[in-house]
Amino acid sequence: MMQAAANGKPLVRFQPFLLGLGFLLLIAISTGTVWLVNRAAADAARLAEARLVQNKLSNLLLNVRRAESSQRGYLFTNNAAYLDDFHHAEPDARRLIAELQQLSKSNSRRRATITRLSTLVDAKFAELSHTIMLNGAGKREEARREVIGGKGREVMTSLRKLIYQAIADEAELAALRIGQSRRTNNLLLVVSLIGAALIVLIGAISIVLVQRNTRQREAARAELAVTNANLERIVAFRTADLTEANEEIQRFAYIVSHDLRSPLVNIMGFTSELEALRKDIIEQVKSLSTELARVKTQSVEADGSEGAAEEVAIDQLGHDFDEAIRFIKSSTTGMDRLINAVLKLSREGRRQFAPQVLDMDRLIAGVLQTVAHRAAEQGATLDAANLPPVESDRLAIEQIFANLIDNALKYGRAEEPLQIEITGRATASHVIYNVRDTGRGIDPKDHQRVFELFRRSGPQDRQGEGIGLAHVRALLRRLGGTIALSSELGKGSTFTVTLPRGWPADNRGPHE
Amino acid sequence: MNSAMSERPVQIVMIEDDEGHARLIEKNIRRAGVTNTIMPFASGSDAISFLFGADGTGAANKGKPLLVLLDLNLPDMTGIEILSRIKSNDHLRPIPVVVLTTTDDAAEIQRCYDLGCNVYITKPVNYENFANAIRQLGLFFSVIQVPVSE
Repeated sequence: MMQAAANGKPLVRFQPFLLGLGFLLLIAISTGTVWLVNRAAADAARLAEARLVQNKLSNLLLNVRRAESSQRGYLFTNNAAYLDDFHHAEPDARRLIAELQQLSKSNSRRRATITRLSTLVDAKFAELSHTIMLNGAGKREEARREVIGGKGREVMTSLRKLIYQAIADEAELAALRIGQSRRTNNLLLVVSLIGAALIVLIGAISIVLVQRNTRQREAARAELAVTNANLERIVAFRTADLTEANEEIQRFAYIVSHDLRSPLVNIMGFTSELEALRKDIIEQVKSLSTELARVKTQSVEADGSEGAAEEVAIDQLGHDFDEAIRFIKSSTTGMDRLINAVLKLSREGRRQFAPQVLDMDRLIAGVLQTVAHRAAEQGATLDAANLPPVESDRLAIEQIFANLIDNALKYGRAEEPLQIEITGRATASHVIYNVRDTGRGIDPKDHQRVFELFRRSGPQDRQGEGIGLAHVRALLRRLGGTIALSSELGKGSTFTVTLPRGWPADNRGPHE
Repeated sequence: MNSAMSERPVQIVMIEDDEGHARLIEKNIRRAGVTNTIMPFASGSDAISFLFGADGTGAANKGKPLLVLLDLNLPDMTGIEILSRIKSNDHLRPIPVVVLTTTDDAAEIQRCYDLGCNVYITKPVNYENFANAIRQLGLFFSVIQVPVSE
C-alpha cells in the first residue's frame, strides 16, 4: 500500500501539469483556427475582388464597343437617334474606370493597367466625339475619311488587347487566390483535427489518472477504516484494563483500610488497658518502695533524703509512662483518621452515579444554606446566581461544591472580611463554574499539591486531613469533569470546575 | 446479678476471630458488671456447628436463652451469612444478634438490619467510645428479655 502511494505521488503531481498543458494546447489551437479562418475570409474577399475587376473590365469593353457601334450607326444612317447609346455609354465607361481605380488602390500593377486603360478610353471617346461632331456639322466626307483612316480602329485594338490582358491577369490572380484559400482551408482542417485528437488524448489520460487516483484514495480509505477499527479495539482493551486496574485499586484500598482498622482497635484498646493498669502498677511500686525503705530503716540508720529521691524516681517513671501512652494514642488516632479517609475515598469510588438534570441555582443555594450560620459568625458574604444547569449526579455535585465552599470558609484572612462568590457559564459542550474567595490564597508551588491526598498548603492552623480537594478531584474525574485552580497568596483563590453539559454515555463509573 | 433474668441466665455467644478484640469485648462486658457466661468462637463454622447443633437444624438450641455477639469479618465466612442463617431458622430466629464490626458503611449496616440484626455497633478505634458502647450493651443485656420459648 505504501509503495502504491509512493508511485501515485508523481502522477498526482503530474496531473495539474497535464491539465495546464491541455489548456495551453487548446488556446494555441483556437488562436490558430481563428487566424486561419480570418485568412480564409481575406482570401475569399480578394478572390471576389478579382472577379469584380474582371467583370468591370468586360463591362468597360462592352461600353466602348457600344459607343463605337452607336457612332458607326449614326455615320452610316445619318440618323441622330443612333447616338442615344453613345450618350449613355460614355458616362458608364467613365464610371467603370473610376470604380476600377477605386479597386486598384492596393494593387500597383492593376493601377498601372487602369491608368493606361483610362488614357486609351479617353483617346477612343475623343476620336468618336470628333467624327460625330464633323458629321453633325455636315462634313460627312471628312468624318468618313477619319474613320477609314483607321486611327480609331487602332485605339480600339490596343484597348481590347489591354482589357483581355488585364482580364487574363485577374484570372491568374484569382487562381492564385483559390489555391491559397484551399491551402488555408486544408491547414485549418488539419489543425482542427490535431486539436480534437489532442483534446481526446488529454481527456483520456486525465480519466486514467483520475481513476487511478480514486482507486488509491479508496484503498487508503479502506486501510484507514481498518486502522481505526484496530485503534478502537485497542482503546477498548486499554479501557477495560484500566477499569479493571482501577477496580482492583478500589478493592485493595477498601480491604487494606478495613483490615488495618482491626489491629488498630487492639492497639488502642490495650493501650487504654495499660493506662488503666498504670495506676495499679505505680501504686504497687510506691507501696513496695515504702516497704523497702521501712525495712532498710530498720536495718540501717534512717535516711530521709533517700526516700524522697525514691519518690521522685517513681513520679518520673509515671511521667514517662504517660508520655509513651499519649504518643501511642495520638498516633493511633491519626492513623485512624487516615484510614477513614482512604475508606471514604474508596467507598466514593465504588458508588453508582444517578445522573439527572440539576438546577444548579437551587443546589448551590442548598449548600450555602448549610454553611450560612458559620458564614454569619465569620462575617463572610456568600453569593451565587445565574448558574447554568448540568446533567450529573446530585450527591457528587453537592459534595464537590460543599467541599470547595467549606474550604473557602475555612481559610479566610483575619484582616479582611471574606467574600465567596459562585458564578457559572455554559459553552456548547461544557458548563464552567467558578468558586472564588478573597481568602488567604495558595502558594503557586502548592497549586498541584493541594489536590493530592493528605497534602495541605499554608500554615497548618485549621483542622483537616487533606482529603477534601483530593476527593473533589477524584469525583470530578469520575464525572468526566476537571478542576483547575488560580490563586495568589494573600489575595484569594478561584477554583474552576468544568463539567460536560450532558451525562457522558461512557462515563467512568464503577463497572460492576 | 439481675434477678429479672430468671433462673436460666443468658449465655453470650461471641463470634470474633480477632483474639485481641475478643479479650477487649469480654473485659468491657465484665467491667460493665455483666457476669453471664461468654462462649467465644474464633471462626464462623465453629459457631454455626454450635448454634445449629449436630443435626444442623438448630433444634438443640430451641428456646435456650442465648445472645449472639457477631463480628462481620471472619476468616471462613462472612458475618452476614451467619446472621441470615440464624434469622432464617425457625428455632434460632428469636435469639438477639448484636453485630459488632469495624465497618461503618451505611449500606452494610442497612443490610444487617434488613436481615434482622437487633443492634449494630461499630468498633471505634477511640477506646473510650468503644468501652462505652460495650457498657451500654451490658445495660442492654440487663433489660433484655430473652424469650424462654416460642
